[in-house]
Amino acid sequence: MIGAVARRLGGSVLVLWGAVTVAFLALHLTSGDPVDLLTGLRASSDGLRAEIVREYGLDRPLALQYLTFLLHILQGDLGDSYVLHLPVRTAIGQQLGSTLQLLAATVVVTVVIAVPAALLGAGRRPWVRTPVSLLEGLGVAVPAFWLGTLLLGVFSFKLRWFPALGAPGIDGLVLPALALAAAPAAVIARVLRRGLEQTLDEPFVTTARTRGVGEAAVRLRHGLRHGLLPVATLVGWLTGSLIGGAVVVESVFSRQGLGTLAVTAVRNKDLPLVIGIVLVAGLVYTVVNTAVDLSYRLIDPRLRTREA
Amino acid sequence: MPTPDTATPGTATTSTGTAGTATTSTGTAGTATAAAATAERLRTAPRTRRFTSRPGVAVAALTALLPLAAACSRTAKGAADPAAAGPPKAGGTLTLAVPYGPTCLDPHQGQADALFSRAVLDSLVWQDEKGAVHPWLAKSWKISDDQRTYTFVLRPGVTFSDGTPFDAAAVKANLDHVVAPTTKSAGAAQLIENYRSTTVVDDHTVEVTLAAPASSFLSGLASPGLGIESPATLTGDPKALCSKIVGTGPFASAAGFTPQQGISYQRRDGYAWAPEGAANQGPAHLDGLTVRVVPENSSRLGALTSGQADAASAIAPVNVAKLKADPGFAVQSAVAPGVPFSYNPNTEKGALSDVRLRKALRAGIDWPLIVEKLYFGVYPAAQGPLSPTTPGWSKAVADQYTYDPAASAALLDEAGWTARDAENYRTKDGKRLTLDFLYVGDYFGPHVALATQIQAAAKQLGIELRNQNLDAGSYVKRVLAGDYDLLNSSNNNFSPDGLRLIFGSAHIPTTKIDNNAARYHDAGVDAKLAEALAAGDPQKQNSLYAEVQQKVTDDVAILPLFNNAYVLGTSAKVHGVVFEQQSFPNFADAWLSR
Repeated sequence: MIGAVARRLGGSVLVLWGAVTVAFLALHLTSGDPVDLLTGLRASSDGLRAEIVREYGLDRPLALQYLTFLLHILQGDLGDSYVLHLPVRTAIGQQLGSTLQLLAATVVVTVVIAVPAALLGAGRRPWVRTPVSLLEGLGVAVPAFWLGTLLLGVFSFKLRWFPALGAPGIDGLVLPALALAAAPAAVIARVLRRGLEQTLDEPFVTTARTRGVGEAAVRLRHGLRHGLLPVATLVGWLTGSLIGGAVVVESVFSRQGLGTLAVTAVRNKDLPLVIGIVLVAGLVYTVVNTAVDLSYRLIDPRLRTREA
Repeated sequence: MPTPDTATPGTATTSTGTAGTATTSTGTAGTATAAAATAERLRTAPRTRRFTSRPGVAVAALTALLPLAAACSRTAKGAADPAAAGPPKAGGTLTLAVPYGPTCLDPHQGQADALFSRAVLDSLVWQDEKGAVHPWLAKSWKISDDQRTYTFVLRPGVTFSDGTPFDAAAVKANLDHVVAPTTKSAGAAQLIENYRSTTVVDDHTVEVTLAAPASSFLSGLASPGLGIESPATLTGDPKALCSKIVGTGPFASAAGFTPQQGISYQRRDGYAWAPEGAANQGPAHLDGLTVRVVPENSSRLGALTSGQADAASAIAPVNVAKLKADPGFAVQSAVAPGVPFSYNPNTEKGALSDVRLRKALRAGIDWPLIVEKLYFGVYPAAQGPLSPTTPGWSKAVADQYTYDPAASAALLDEAGWTARDAENYRTKDGKRLTLDFLYVGDYFGPHVALATQIQAAAKQLGIELRNQNLDAGSYVKRVLAGDYDLLNSSNNNFSPDGLRLIFGSAHIPTTKIDNNAARYHDAGVDAKLAEALAAGDPQKQNSLYAEVQQKVTDDVAILPLFNNAYVLGTSAKVHGVVFEQQSFPNFADAWLSR
């Protein structure tokens, strides 16, 4: 177990280094002089341009700029955003809490929707299964942007139950979390339901039933554990899609957050900020995936015996 | 982190509302939703801009506004202020939803996001909507005979919100800060580009010396970009000023601006130095003003109509009529001064270097009809190189902007584009008449429909217009190389000197982005623009600017489409909001009825 964790962490560091390098190269090798972007594609005096080049070291060789970047990152110094005129740490710090809140709320909503839907819908008669299955299809198909706009229109502008302007607190989280959770909840519900259906056909379930174990207990105690394995493999994909979905949802609900910050940063070639966000997103992603891999062992005892 | 396939709708760009900055064509930054975009910050860029909000860095915005007859000065009543509203009531906090935040609160740097800084910063002088200059923090001034020395006598008893007294040293610190290289001023320094130095004569007298006469100097000082900040805040890292500024204005913001969230302002109770002529000479009526960044058009409108915001800016043109018709709401707008949202033909090389083709393009497309169809009359069609709210605007050129497809066809024939190919495009020597229009999608976003309509209209003339959406880097390369036929620009500027930035040959983009997107080079125009800048007599200036407007119209150096406007939707409870000459709302005299 310890060896497995160490291997994973080593791999994560490589992944993060790769991500930072790709971001650096992507921004530098796409056409366009960062100076033009930093002056906002506006008329600028030669003095202003020279000052920008001097301040950001844009006249040094690319390799040197890259090494300088890496050194600073290793020291925990992410530099200053070109555009926001703030240290990258501050810029990310201002937005991180809001995005983490949204992601946490979304995970809660996803679980609350997906698990009961799967438990209820698995292997039942068509009159139960069909509506559940329809809702799953709908959840996947509806874009978060559209759903967010709809929720906002109905529950905030018309009924005035929830605030629209990126309000802090639980009130302001309900609608964005619903909009963001729709797709993952539908996918997880479907995968979990299929897993459960397969499990319920297994001989050991029949054995359990013949011993007089009730239907609810069979589903919760035996079915759910087996059904979770395919879901666990989805978690990595889900993390990525949530981070992407957050961008759209944050914008619709005028929420602060890393999503909108990232879009702006990429658009402006705000290199230090892009790298900072890539690091944070990469960190979240690798932590989640490492946790998932390790959780396999908890869910499925068979994997523990194969430990190298 | 993955970016979504769709850029968020409704992000706006910014423009700078600084006076005097020009935006141009090139890609400007920022896009706003179409309608919405706007005016809040028109940034200038020689890129073309769109009106905008800022994208971060650069954005230009289009403003969405409707025209009022003219931008009002602070003495005017806001359109939403029926006389029945009675005397102003004190108290309450007004919440305003805007499409984007400032790139930097400090107007001396970057783009001046005037709306955000004006609540906090006063200027030395105030300029009314006719262009006349009035005392503000300076109670009087004298100009030397050679137009190079301005002596200002300052108002006594004025304090910054941090307690620092306002005096001659503060004026010097501010002007020096604007032009300091470390400030990296994009817009404000351009407004006073002839500035040389300031001398403190005594506590309340300063002498400002210019390197050369500049008739636009007072107009520059009056602009929000030259707002006066507490000298104590100007000595540190300029970056700190981007989230927090301290001034002498009617409001102060202790916490400053948080990106993507907004900013809250509190009233300064001792405020007693409003500009000469302002309706409210004392402290603001409002306890506070809260500005929230709400990028989506539909969210801003919904926040307003559901009572979660008292005012929302950059209302999309498509929503304006319905909001106006609702008795619970009002829509005010102001046409931005400066150069309209335009197409800029490349007069230096390519097909459009032939003036007959430029004339054919102007006469052969019903530009006002396209504008009306897309923007529902919210942005008025333009008829000239300056908008009617700009000082020095000449009405005389308007009749050259008439739709005449027959004349257009005759001009194309005369220029030799007589043959037609299989797709019915005109050809000459076997070559199709093809024009490339370049834009940067991020900044031009809301206006893609406009470009598509213009493309369709050009096809009717037998011209193939290719709309090319480029990334900013490729765009810059092609602009500098002159490898284009059309660009887009707009420029918010309260001085006719904006013409120099757009048509002066010194501003052709060759080594760096600049505002003369038409690459227009006319020695006579250059001379007149220089003469107007040095002229002390306003009548002389205006006649020179009128001649320039005539000449660039004769030469079709610009194809103006519409005048930017700032569109502000308010609840019926909001009164006393007026527009500054730069066409952004000012809340110093605003109040809420309850």
